[in-house]
Amino acid sequence: MAVELSVGVIGLASAIAITGSAIAAAWAEKAIGVAAIGAMAEKEELFGKGLILTVIPETIVIFGLVIAILILGLAG
Amino acid sequence: MAFRPELMSKVTIAGPKQYMEACISELHKLKAIHIVDHTKDADADIGKPMAKASGLSEALVRIRSICSWLGIKNGKEHTVKSAKEAQKLGHLISSLFHEVKGLLEQSKEIDSKINDNNLLISELRPLADTGLKMEFFSEYRSIAYFAGYTNDAKALAESIKKITGTFSIYGSQNGEGAVAIFIDSKSRDKCAEALREQKFQEINIEKLRQFRGTPNEIISGLERENGGLNAKKEKTHSRFSEIREEHSEELLRAMDFLEKEVEKAEAPLRFAETKSSFVVKGWIPSKNVQTAEEVIAAKTGNRIFFHAGSPEKKDDVPVKLNNPKAVSPFEFFMDLYTMPSYKEIDPTFFIFLSFPILFGFMLGDFGYGLATLALFIMLRKIMPQAKNFFNILIVSSLSTIFFGLLFGEFFGFEEIGHFTLPHILSRSHQIEELLYIAVAIGFIHVNIGLLVGFANEMKSHGFRHAFLAKLSWLVFEAGLVMVFLSMLGIISLSYWFGVGVVLLSAALLFIGEGARGPIEMPGLISNMLSYARLMAIGVSSVKLAEVINEMSGKMFHAGGVMIIVGVLILVFGHAVNIGLGLLGSFLHSLRLHYVEFFTKFFHGGAKKFAPFGEKK
Repeated sequence: MAVELSVGVIGLASAIAITGSAIAAAWAEKAIGVAAIGAMAEKEELFGKGLILTVIPETIVIFGLVIAILILGLAG
Repeated sequence: MAFRPELMSKVTIAGPKQYMEACISELHKLKAIHIVDHTKDADADIGKPMAKASGLSEALVRIRSICSWLGIKNGKEHTVKSAKEAQKLGHLISSLFHEVKGLLEQSKEIDSKINDNNLLISELRPLADTGLKMEFFSEYRSIAYFAGYTNDAKALAESIKKITGTFSIYGSQNGEGAVAIFIDSKSRDKCAEALREQKFQEINIEKLRQFRGTPNEIISGLERENGGLNAKKEKTHSRFSEIREEHSEELLRAMDFLEKEVEKAEAPLRFAETKSSFVVKGWIPSKNVQTAEEVIAAKTGNRIFFHAGSPEKKDDVPVKLNNPKAVSPFEFFMDLYTMPSYKEIDPTFFIFLSFPILFGFMLGDFGYGLATLALFIMLRKIMPQAKNFFNILIVSSLSTIFFGLLFGEFFGFEEIGHFTLPHILSRSHQIEELLYIAVAIGFIHVNIGLLVGFANEMKSHGFRHAFLAKLSWLVFEAGLVMVFLSMLGIISLSYWFGVGVVLLSAALLFIGEGARGPIEMPGLISNMLSYARLMAIGVSSVKLAEVINEMSGKMFHAGGVMIIVGVLILVFGHAVNIGLGLLGSFLHSLRLHYVEFFTKFFHGGAKKFAPFGEKK
């Protein structure tokens, strides 16, 4: 199955979009998650707040995903 | 009303001290008052605990120690019915406490003795290599000796030879090992120095002098002793399990009883007290006020002052959520986050509506829904204490089944045999449509949040503020839609018109919420885009299921032993995928509520209503 070069490049571009944003989200969540666990060890009721703060950066990867899908749309 | 927490009345109860105990006992039975702890002020100090409190707490501490020593854990609620029973339990506890404590000390003593013996054995063992009896290591006038390890016995002998001619070495003659060196006492210091240079490790003989005979004999004696000690230890342990089996039910019952009694006896610490009277302040659900007043009056012969009033604005009212039975399991999410404040709308009902929808949309597979439904019904039976949590998951599983039908998926298959499952939308083929639907759900959900926020603000700050702070967001959305539609040429207006509406909304927000409002405007769009996760998690779950099916399908075609491998892949793969799907769907659904939905209206921060007498 021969794929045109342009299609391959589009695929690669969307992969980069999702990779970069996923790494960024993971990085941010790591730092917040560690702090949240630390806070929870002191005060267990902070679970709800900790969870929220931890998952906030997830939006980054969602944006990456949306962009990736939009890029894939270029390939038709 | 389901949208509001239970109505509360602010209650003050006061009376002469001799009725305090009766009053406490009734309040404890009623389980209706949330006591506000008194802090010492000019008018009244905090009360003193009842005289029996210290004795009761001591007994409670004893029971808790027994339970922790024996590893007994508390499960269900127990009740002690009569005073006679309580007395009987009291005797049992004090005898058990002494027995268990004695046994524990004994077992500790045995352990330390065994340890000591093991230490002695490890020190004696090298001396056995020297072939000397312990009697040799006594105190001499003209002979000094060293015992210990060396790396090189030969070099050691050489270096001692240089110091003195009168010496003898027992034990290892060559290379490393244990040696005993006897020399004339005059050369002692010099010899010690030489030994240090040779990195000789000395054994402390002091402790071993008590023994007579060869080290091997002594070691076997000590080992025999250890054997006896171990048997004794075994016996104490079997007595422990005997006690555990025989009395754990009674112990738990007594613990429960004492916990209640201690709570009652220490309740005056939360009251205000003067020389001859006491005052309790707290909150009682309005519907229970009358019963409480009547019961207390009846038990104290009308000698108690009881006043109930409605809360004032500055009061920190404890919140008791008030939802219909079907909705109440979802109060779990409020416990996890924080209670809504007394004045605002209780979001539990909205969570009840939208949580299963978001969850089902993500997991969305008929087969997975059936599997999780069966799993959670089973788990609810096994763990009745987590009933609320499993009820939430059961409702969510039903929603998963519903969405599974809409998407036409059964364990990732879109067709079974040659029968294609009917579907409204295929998640594995119509990803872009799925994305739009997900964001549309977000649009609706966030706007519901804004409208709830409008209702909240309307109640607390009036229409003007509510409009500026919440409805401006709707104006903003309308402006954005106008910009897009006119740019796409769907409506024939200049897009500047839409931009104007957006700017207007920014101005309104600035008036309503200050600088924070306009700054948060892009946040609204990111909030809605965040719902794209509904699509992302759903698609990843479907694709994983498809891969599992394909892999096992290939194995089935290969035939023979491979069929077993195929079955394993199928079962294990789908089990893992269901696990991942549950975790993802639950957490992300929760997050969409907490982060995207709640931030539109929720303040929270109230204390949970914790009635006096209710088990914590």
